[in-house]
Formats: sequence, structure tokens, C-alpha cells
Amino acid sequence: MNSPLKIYIPNETTSNSVGATQAYRAISNLKGIEEAEIIRNGTWGAFWLEPFIEVESEGNRVGVCYKGVDLSQLKTLNDFLSDFDNRDPFDIRKIEFINEQKRIVFSRIGKGNPLDILFYQDQGGYDSLKTALNLDQQNVIDKIKESGLTGRGGAAFPTGIKMQTVSDQSSSLKYLACNADEGDGGTFSDRLIMESDPFALIEGMTIAAYAVGASKGYIYLRSEYPLAKTYLTRAIGIARENNFLGTNIQSSDFDFEIELRIGAGSYVCGEETAMMESIEGRRGLVRSKPPLPAINGLFDKPTLINNVVTLATIPPLLNGSLSDFSDLGSGKSVGTMPFQLCGNIEQSGLVETAFDITIGEMIEKFGKRTKSGLPIHAIQIGGPLGIYLSSRMMSTKLTIESLQSIKGSVGHGGIVVFDNTVDMSEQAKFAMEFCAKESCGKCTPCRIGSVRGVEIIDRLQKNSSSKEDSILLNELCKTMEATSLCAMGGMTPNPIYSIINNFPNELVEK
Amino acid sequence: MGNGWILMTKIKEAINPYIEIEGGLMPALHAVQEMEGYISNDAISELALAFNYSNAEVLDVLTYYDDFTLEPSGKHVIRVCRAEACQSLKSKELTEHLTDHFGMSLGETTNDSKITLKEVFCLGNCALGPSVMINETVIGEADKDKVLNFLNDIE
Repeated sequence: MNSPLKIYIPNETTSNSVGATQAYRAISNLKGIEEAEIIRNGTWGAFWLEPFIEVESEGNRVGVCYKGVDLSQLKTLNDFLSDFDNRDPFDIRKIEFINEQKRIVFSRIGKGNPLDILFYQDQGGYDSLKTALNLDQQNVIDKIKESGLTGRGGAAFPTGIKMQTVSDQSSSLKYLACNADEGDGGTFSDRLIMESDPFALIEGMTIAAYAVGASKGYIYLRSEYPLAKTYLTRAIGIARENNFLGTNIQSSDFDFEIELRIGAGSYVCGEETAMMESIEGRRGLVRSKPPLPAINGLFDKPTLINNVVTLATIPPLLNGSLSDFSDLGSGKSVGTMPFQLCGNIEQSGLVETAFDITIGEMIEKFGKRTKSGLPIHAIQIGGPLGIYLSSRMMSTKLTIESLQSIKGSVGHGGIVVFDNTVDMSEQAKFAMEFCAKESCGKCTPCRIGSVRGVEIIDRLQKNSSSKEDSILLNELCKTMEATSLCAMGGMTPNPIYSIINNFPNELVEK
Repeated sequence: MGNGWILMTKIKEAINPYIEIEGGLMPALHAVQEMEGYISNDAISELALAFNYSNAEVLDVLTYYDDFTLEPSGKHVIRVCRAEACQSLKSKELTEHLTDHFGMSLGETTNDSKITLKEVFCLGNCALGPSVMINETVIGEADKDKVLNFLNDIE
């Protein structure tokens, strides 16, 4: 018997935001559709092609971008198939944007139904958990240390060392908290894992919990991601039904449960100590460290806190991809990084690649040109607390070390491109405005300094040659940097410094 | 008695599953916000009683978070993204088009209680901005017409 025709229509926030939902409705109403199997897959992460609809017949899978096309005019499955053929379908895996990437963590996204646990296992999923459960816990931690993995949430702390600290605590109750409060403007890699490969996160959490001896895991998900909530809720249920969560996981003596908690619209709750406060049911105020969460964290117990992508990176490290990963890069910048290329850029999407690439290569190879067609003027790297590079800085490498040396950070891997209509003084003002809006209020320089910052920049916009205001802004930034507990107040000055230094005369006259 | 009593029972039922769990106040607040569309004074008293807090302590927590409101929002909530990636694709102009169209500022609700217009910082839809979220649906490459057409469709 011939394998049935398969039609893949993504069910993922960005694809849905440009018509995948409507395409699905139209296609499922076609006459004769029962001849085909419709699969709601995740996205391939090549977003400018969304909604990207694929047809697979006799093992040949090709797709077409259906942006702006109204499919509701078509009557039958054959109408759709001939329309599809007329649009020059192609294999997305062969385009440069995909095949020039090194997808280790995001190896499965786009390929199948994110909630199909058999598909997940066919693709190598859960092999790593089975391997881990047969290893001594310390062995698992050693492998993570050996891999060189650093936290992908923004702080780039060595993951293995953090796991060791939690493991070394003698408490009989330990927690794992997955930080899914992906709040940086210009980032979506956590969301892609949760919406397009949720079992990867659940498996990564389960392995990490086994390694450090945690019995309960929380996922703290931002409320702005309702579809991720749906996927995670269902994936946790499916994992439990299949004995990948719960008691005696896969016949071992290891028990682990995951509970999903939803944030409530606060950026600072992505900071790990504020996140713990929020999970505990309080205002998301930052705690001072020490104690480290690894020693005294959630509900005063040792807690392993990792970001979504970090946890989803653990399974590949135990299933034979360890050397593929750790052979890339050096220092803190080992392995692959999922960069998120977005803003005013033609080919926007997820680019998983080694860190050792310049921003120029990133644009040339993957993003191509601005969406508006105008010249690039500025590129912000690493979210709202990251720096702006000018178009003269295209040889800047995207390694953690290279960006640190110019007071920047890779952060969570967001890359936002601006064309030459951008007003850099507005971007500087936004940095302060965002800090004023999102500051938890604990540290005065962050809470009040940010308001004063907006006022000073307002004045500079009227008179950029004011020496007095330029000195004042600099002093304010230095104070915020030196006296804020967390990165919110401490790093808000970074984009402002970069605008002063890299864009002379656009905020203050040199 | 009557309506008030029914309401209190509904609130109690909504928060009941969270009383015994660790840090249950946040999910309980979400449950009330979802059910009532805001957190009323009655709900604050119920939450305080259930979690052994004072009313002021409940208020202290809920006012920290943008998602919890002390007044009902409009029937449809439109959130316009103001974060960097959307800024690069003219979200400022889009915001102005929408505030002009509805004749109100961000954070306000129309007189007929149909529409609340809010700002949001990042919907994770940064690859195809500017983005707007209407209730729980995200619209990418948004413009005023797309937003108004979507509102028409759901009305």
C-alpha cells in the first residue's frame, strides 16, 4: 500500500500570526481531504517563509510559502495540490538558511507533530534519558562539565558547575526550576523549543533532575506565550502517561514531577531570584546573593535554575552529539548558540550556529538585507540590556568573550536589525524607559535613576551639545551600574554607552 | 444573599485547587482574573482568608503584576508590542494609528467597554513584527487594517 499523502501545516505562534491557522481551516475543509493526513508540525524557524506548507508523497517532502494567499477559494484536495505544484515547491532542508546552520539542539523543529511522542522517540528522543538512568548521577554531571555548556539564558555560567553545586547539597528535597520567562525583546528560541519540540525540554529537565537529585521541577512560563502553555501542558501529560514523568520513571527508582507556573507580565521575573519570589507567591523582587539558589533557593531548598535552551541542550550531549558540540568554539563560547535574527531583516528566524561567526557573516549568509531595503544602521545584540553595534562594526565576532570585551553580551542570543531611519537617541531613551517600567523597585538607582535617565535624554534630544547633561548621564549610568543588585539596573547603561560610543553625535555631541 | 453569595462561592471554587500547593497565590490570582476579568475587593478578601494573609498583603502581590487588574478590562484586549524588534518595523507609527483610531491612549478602555488598548514588551514574535496580540491571538506584520479586520471577525 502506498503511504498516504501528508500535508504539514505549522501550528506555532509566528506561523499562525501570518495565516497558518486560516490555511489549516481552509485545507481541512477541502473535499477529499480524507485522502491525506494533515500534520500540524512545528516551524522550521525560517520565518520569512511562513506560513510554510509542505506536502509529502512517496518520501518526497517539499513546501511552499503561502503568505498572503487566501486558500478558502479552493474546493477540493486536487485543487489545492495543483495550486501547490504551480508555486514551485522546494525542499526547505536544502536552502542555505537551513543547511548552513549547525542544528544540534534544534535538530527536530519543523519535522513533525511536536506532541507525537513516538515521532520524538523515532528521532532519537528519550534515548538520552535512558542512557542517563543507567549512569551514576556524578557521571551525568561530568559529561555536562566536559561538554563546556554554559547557560544560554544570558549569564553564561558553566552549567556543569552549577549542577555540581546542587548535587553536593545534602538536603533530602531539591528543586529544579526552568526559567521560561523569555522576556528579552528580539528573542524567541525558548518559545520555539516549547512550541515545536516540548519533549526536548521535558527530557532535559528530567535528566538534570536525576543528576542533581531533584524530585520536583517547575517551569516558570511567561503569560505572553499562551500557545507554549498549551503545548507544555499537553506534553507534560503525555510524558506522564508514558512513564517519562511520575514515579519509577522507565522502571528506575527515580521519581520526578513537573509543574507549570505562569508569570504575570513582569520582565524582572526572568531574573532567577525574582522568579523564585514569584513562584513562591510574592512580588517579583530581586533577592541579594549569597545565598546562591543552588544552595538555598526555592522554598529554602537547593535549586537548580536553568533556562529552557540550556536544559534542551542536555539530551544531545548524552546521545552521541557531545563531541559535535564541544569541538566547536573555545572558552565560554563552546558549542552551538541559537541566535534569533529579527527586526528589520529580510530573512528572519532561528539560526543555530557556532559562536565563532561575525555579525557581518550572520547578516550576509542568513539575514541577507533589511526588510525595508534601506541600509543597516544599527544592530542590537543580546536583548534590551545588550549593546548597539553600528554598520561599521560588521567584523565583531558573536562570541561571549568578544562581546564582553566591548561591554556587550550575547545574552539570550537576540539580534535586532535597524535600518537608517532609526533615531538612536530614541533607542537610548527606550533603554531607560524600559528600566523604569520594569524595575522591581528594590534598588533606588534602578528605580529612580531610570526615570532621571529618561529626563536627561529628553533634554539631550533638544540640545545634544549640553556638556552638563552628557556628564550627568554618564555619572548616572556609572551609579546604576555599580549599585544595582541585578542586571536590570546594572546593565541598562550598556546600550546607552554603546550609543554614545558607536554613534557619535546621535545622542551627545562628541 | 443571592448574587453576592453565588459570586463568593464561584471565587472560592476558583481558588480552592491552589490553597494547599506551594506558592499557590499566583495561580489563584490567575484563576480569579480569568474568571472575573479583574480582581475585585471581594476576591481580595477571599484570597486573604484562604492564604492566611491580610487584604493588604494580597494587594501588595497583585499590584506588582501587569496581568492582574483591579478593574474590568474591555471585552477585547489589544496589546501592541513596544519592544525593540517591533520598533525597528515602525511599531510607534502602528501604536499611533491605533490610539488615533480608538481615540484613547495606551492603558485605556473604550466607553462601551469593548476594547482595552495596552502596551506589551515582546510577544516572542520578533521575526515578523510589528506584532499585536488580540486576546490570545498574535498578529504578525500587523497594521491597522489587519487589527480592525480581526476585531470584525471575532465580533
